[in-house]
Amino acid sequence: MNGGINFRDGGLIPIWEKIQRGDRLTLDDGLSLYRTPDLISLGKMAHAVQQSQSGDAVYYVLNQKIEHTNVCVLSCTFCDFATKKGEPDAYEMTTEEILARLTPEIREVHITGGMPPDWPWERYVEIVRAIHEHLPNADVKAYTAVEIDFFHKKFKMPIEEVLRQLQAVGLRTMPGGGAEIFSERVRKLLFNQKIGAKTWLEVHKTAHRLGIPTNSTMLYGHVETLEERLVHMIKLREAQDETGGFLTFIPLAFQPGDTGIKPRNQFTSAIDDLKTIAVSRLMLDNFPHIKAYWVMLTEEVASVALNFGADDMDGTVGGERIAHDAGAISPTALATDQIVRIIRGAGKIPVERDAFYNPLRLLSENVVGKIPFLNSVPFYANMENRVFKILPVVPRRMGLLAEQLQVDAGPFSLMDYFRLEDSMDLMGWCIASRDQVKSVMLFSKEGWRDLEGKRIAITDDTATSVKLLRILLEKKYGVNATFERLHAGVNDYSDYDAVLLIGDEALRRNKYGLHGFELVYDLAREWYDWQKLPFVFAVWAIRRTISADARLMLEQSISRSLATSEADFVAVAGVHGRTIGLTDRETQEFLEGFSYRLGGREIEAMARFRQLVAETESMSRVDGRREEK
Amino acid sequence: MIATTEILTKARKGGRISREEGLEILKHGQLLDLADAANEIRFTKVAEPQVTFVIDTNPNYSNVCNVDCIFCAFYRHPGEEGEYTYSVREMVANFKQAAAKGVTTVLLQGGVHPTLPFEYYLEMVERTIREVPEVYPHFFSTSEIIGMAKVSGLTVPQVLRRLWDAGLRSIPGGGAEILSDRVKRKISHLKGSSADWLNVMREAHKIGFRSTATMMYGHLERDEDIIEHLDVIRELQDEYGGFTSFVPWSFKPGNTPLEKVIPHYATPTRYLQIIAISRIYLDNFPHIQASWFSEGKKTGQIALHFGADDFGGTLLEENVHAAANFVNKTNTEECIQLIHDAGFAAAQRTTLYEILKIHPRVEVAA
Repeated sequence: MNGGINFRDGGLIPIWEKIQRGDRLTLDDGLSLYRTPDLISLGKMAHAVQQSQSGDAVYYVLNQKIEHTNVCVLSCTFCDFATKKGEPDAYEMTTEEILARLTPEIREVHITGGMPPDWPWERYVEIVRAIHEHLPNADVKAYTAVEIDFFHKKFKMPIEEVLRQLQAVGLRTMPGGGAEIFSERVRKLLFNQKIGAKTWLEVHKTAHRLGIPTNSTMLYGHVETLEERLVHMIKLREAQDETGGFLTFIPLAFQPGDTGIKPRNQFTSAIDDLKTIAVSRLMLDNFPHIKAYWVMLTEEVASVALNFGADDMDGTVGGERIAHDAGAISPTALATDQIVRIIRGAGKIPVERDAFYNPLRLLSENVVGKIPFLNSVPFYANMENRVFKILPVVPRRMGLLAEQLQVDAGPFSLMDYFRLEDSMDLMGWCIASRDQVKSVMLFSKEGWRDLEGKRIAITDDTATSVKLLRILLEKKYGVNATFERLHAGVNDYSDYDAVLLIGDEALRRNKYGLHGFELVYDLAREWYDWQKLPFVFAVWAIRRTISADARLMLEQSISRSLATSEADFVAVAGVHGRTIGLTDRETQEFLEGFSYRLGGREIEAMARFRQLVAETESMSRVDGRREEK
Repeated sequence: MIATTEILTKARKGGRISREEGLEILKHGQLLDLADAANEIRFTKVAEPQVTFVIDTNPNYSNVCNVDCIFCAFYRHPGEEGEYTYSVREMVANFKQAAAKGVTTVLLQGGVHPTLPFEYYLEMVERTIREVPEVYPHFFSTSEIIGMAKVSGLTVPQVLRRLWDAGLRSIPGGGAEILSDRVKRKISHLKGSSADWLNVMREAHKIGFRSTATMMYGHLERDEDIIEHLDVIRELQDEYGGFTSFVPWSFKPGNTPLEKVIPHYATPTRYLQIIAISRIYLDNFPHIQASWFSEGKKTGQIALHFGADDFGGTLLEENVHAAANFVNKTNTEECIQLIHDAGFAAAQRTTLYEILKIHPRVEVAA
């Protein structure tokens, strides 16, 4: 029952039971976790949660940090980066100087800097625009909440308008800096010129509502108490409940050095660092990722943290300056191969990502994709992990990675399987609806036949569902609509006439509704009523070059997992269901609604769909219409 | 194939694990599963939540050496620029200075000098004991002892007996590197075989010497070699029980000929894995030493939760890692603080692990 943990501190057992039930941890639970002498059990709890969310993946990004100026109107005691105009070390970069820093392989540009007294608003906008135009393949992550609030006050624009203007020229995500610690007591002591918790959270929530996901941070190891750290985490958790827009949480170990903070002028201990990673992984049950930011944490601790709950190593961070100036003991930039070596050394697979945590490149063999939705949980209940590494990845990305020979097996979206079938074998399992699925849903302002010429938002996750929607519109209802692809996660859908959602987001919205979209259609039901067939969303397939031994081992794992799951869906998937707001009974009913074995009816359904795809594709070639891939 | 968890359960219950089982958990054990078992075994051997350390220094009387190990950046050939050899008088003066700073253990090694007479070493021991009684001599690695036998025409047991009679009681465990001849032939072919290291240790333990055992990994060894190393020292420990502790560290490539092949340090997770597996495999070793010095202070702290119960020495002076551009420094105060911050009381010990003074951990309201 203890999931392989031999607790030395029995006080942790009730907390572990709560976690296993999917119950939320309280501030007191957090204190018990922080105060335990049983570091290893704490680590094992956090690692178990990490693995259930991220599998064996540890993410990194090829990023470049740009600090456009160190001139700043503030004088924060903890910062020895900022300076005043006219000081000998003051600098202000021109757009040309910034662009000269960027190399073509960069996938994320992180922009943050001082707040000079005399820059016009256009100069900040221009930086984002210029970088976005110069490197369209890189995502621009720009300006902390402190800077956004500074723009709002200085240029007398609402926060939302500041963000909208930046978004319009290429801002994709926002960094999490400037949160420090959400405590008025500490703010008055150390950061009295910085914005407080209320403003910081307001800026981030506003960004989330506009479809700009953000990071979050916590600066610890100075004068704050453990309670203040936990209050900080709980405030972030509550904001995340509201918007779902935080990508990651980054605990930042305070760097002493010449910063003017005297009370505890020493580096945090490795134990405190690891506990903070682990506690945050357990407290922040609605955060997808926890980052071990090696620049602040040191390479040593960051590498160990990958077994204590962290699933992100940040990146190559060309040009990191702030932490370095305060005496951080990491080298200024780790080469990619060093990051990769550290991740592998921790027994994980290095996954290069973009700013949204989409996997771009894997450096591992024998990778099995895992669709991170409730409907796929039953396949992974008893997965062998010696031969295969597990990568959670949305269906469309799984297909792209398989094409690049980076994912070797998994439940592929049917459209992807059609593309990959020359190099892959079917494995006998699938994710197919019987009559309805409740997790591939069209939320619409209009009835089917009134969608002619309307705009439908589709998310980045999906390929087969998009095709199914296209076929239903054109072949079943004779309607043409425009599809626009958005990134999954936070989005403002209000401008669209309909939204196609899949997976957990569709389940959640099906239960709670999507404001403004009164009509809700289940695509599997639409298909069933029309074709009297199940719909096959995904089929398990494996690359032909994988050895027979490995293939057998995977097949046995899947069989074993399905048997365990079908004996008790709630035991296997109840926690996952609860995280998206389903009762155990709803989880049970949802999972019972699928066929997991590829039988005659499913094969027939695949053939029918393939034929309809071919018909619509020849039609769209005639129309010259660009088809969604 | 036995599941790693079953092997760990057996070890946890006090069962001795085999080479095959050791290899299985080294290759496939989850890092924190290893830590968990190692930590439990640590508390059966050292019940108190207490970590020992020693105030020590590691001077070198000479850097002259003719064994040409490709992992070493410290040595010089006889006559080469930068070579040095101190007189006994100079070294004793060095020890006196160290003693004045509170040092209780002097770990003294060379070079393996080809011509220094055996009397030099005997005089070093005798004068240290006589003139600096505050320090405990922990002198001369196995390679040097073999070197003394060559220079003097005596056998290794005779050399050891004469050192014992001069007053030496403890010898360092360095020079073991990896006790697998497959690896040794590549990295240190002139230094002697595994059997040489083990024979000197066996003869020393037979006489009554105590020693440490070391291992340097992170170069050309495979997992199999690490298990072989642990296995042969466990076997020897069954004979006389002469080892006080096991001290693994990772290869530091800076300025060494091996740097071209192995440019990186092994990762901290590898170190923690090695610490844990040592505790699990070496069921007859009382102590496992975590090294803040060789792996970094933070990794050293974490290792205290992975089965180690000792934090090594404060190392007033150290030259060999420094020659590879790997420098960490501490002092007694910081050493105690690091142990406290890791969650343990700090206990100052002697060379032979007798407790001198306990510095209890004061709970700070954080």
